Order: sequence, then structure tokens, then C-alpha cells
Amino acid sequence: MRFMVIVKSNEDSEAGQGPSAELLEQMGKFNEELVKAGVLLAGEGLTPSSEGARVVFSGAEEPRVVDGPFTESKELVGGFWILQCRDREECIEWIKRMPNPGGEAGEVEIRRVAEAADFENMTPEVEAMEGKLRAQSAGQA
Amino acid sequence: MRFLVIVKASPASEAAGFQPSAEELTEMTKFNERLFAEGRIELAEGLTSSADGSRVLFEGDAEPKVIDGPFAETKELIAGFWVLKGESLEEIVELMKQVPNLGPGEGVLEIRPIDE
Repeated sequence: MRFMVIVKSNEDSEAGQGPSAELLEQMGKFNEELVKAGVLLAGEGLTPSSEGARVVFSGAEEPRVVDGPFTESKELVGGFWILQCRDREECIEWIKRMPNPGGEAGEVEIRRVAEAADFENMTPEVEAMEGKLRAQSAGQA
Repeated sequence: MRFLVIVKASPASEAAGFQPSAEELTEMTKFNERLFAEGRIELAEGLTSSADGSRVLFEGDAEPKVIDGPFAETKELIAGFWVLKGESLEEIVELMKQVPNLGPGEGVLEIRPIDE
């Protein structure tokens, strides 16, 4: 199973304050462990929400664009990993070991990535198109 | 530049037993085909509802606390995402205005640059 692990923003990350040298070093080691265990599929950090935008759709109206920053900093995404794990429990065990040298309060959300079998209304045509895109995409990487 | 495009959840997408229709799946896959043909897609995934998820809470040196989903603040939850390549935020905003049918009612996409 694949999981999206969402690291929430905090006031420091929203203020554009990068991680400490200590956290960077420990995070590098943690990522190395994830790679060695064959768990890490992708991982990225985001810039503060002041550099982002939202597109809001409402019925048939022209979509509205709202520029960042966004205020609810504890619900914002600061970064994410995509991990390959046996089940949710294994993913939770990995995340509990995530380095947090400053002892800061923080929240990480773990969500399962949907697979084709999760979509009851999947048609053979869509599945074939999806499969082709994924194969081509893997070929590009 | 690369961007994380977050599809926000809605009461509909978080409802138990929610399933996109065959038409919605087809439209989205066609849109993805176009993005792919333009060489933009690095990742494109949907998430299952937050009922399948968990949160891990860190505080000080205490053992992290685990809380299982579902989570209530629907509008802040993520339903799916893309990682896309683009020249600027504006370019991705214009592209994402064309996302097909995010379902009934209000839909929100959040576009965030990836730190390189």
C-alpha cells in the first residue's frame, strides 16, 4: 500500500524560517533509512503559503483565484512523503521515529493513496488509459 | 519549477461510500492525459477518505500520540494531489482553472511551490 504522509506547517515554516542544521542532518539520515528499507517513493518540502494560491470553483461560475498567505497555519501542508508500506500500522511506526530534535509540537497526517481497485466506477477504458500514463511516466523517470 | 496541487476534500468526497462516477473518472483521466502530453506530470494520485488515515502528534520528548481518522474539518483535508512542472505560479493557476468537474458545490485547489 502507498501512503501520503503530510507534515503540517507551523509558524516558523510559514515565516520562511528553514529547518535547523541539526534537523536537516537528522532528516537526511531518516530519509536514507527510508530509502534503504525500500519505503520512500517521493518526498518534498513546500515553500511558505505566501508563495501559493488557491483556485476556488463554485458551480458554473468562472473560478476565483485567491493568493496566499493562508492563515490556518496548522492545517497547511509544509511537506510530504509518499511511502510504500505493508499497512497503516507500519507507516505509523516509521513516522513515530521521525526526527524532532527541537521537541516542537507538530502534527503529521497519514493518508492512504487510492489504487484502481478503490474506484467502483472504474471503466476498462479509464483503467487502460491510466495504466498507459503510468507506464509512460515510469519510462520517463 | 515544480508545484504541489492539492485537491481539498468536500463533504461529498468525505462521505462514507463516496465514489466518483465513471464520467468524472473519464474526464479527469483525459485532463491528466493532456498534462502528461505537455510533460507536466510528476505525480497524480487520489487519497481514500480520512477514515482510512491517522495522525501522529509530536510534543516535546513524549512518545508521539496516534489518533485514527476520520477527521472532522472536511475543508482542510486533502482528497488528492498532483506534482506538476511549470514555469510560474500563474501558469499553473491558469491550467488548473480548467480542471474538470470537481463535483457539486464549491471545490478548492491549493497550489504550492516545491522548495528546490
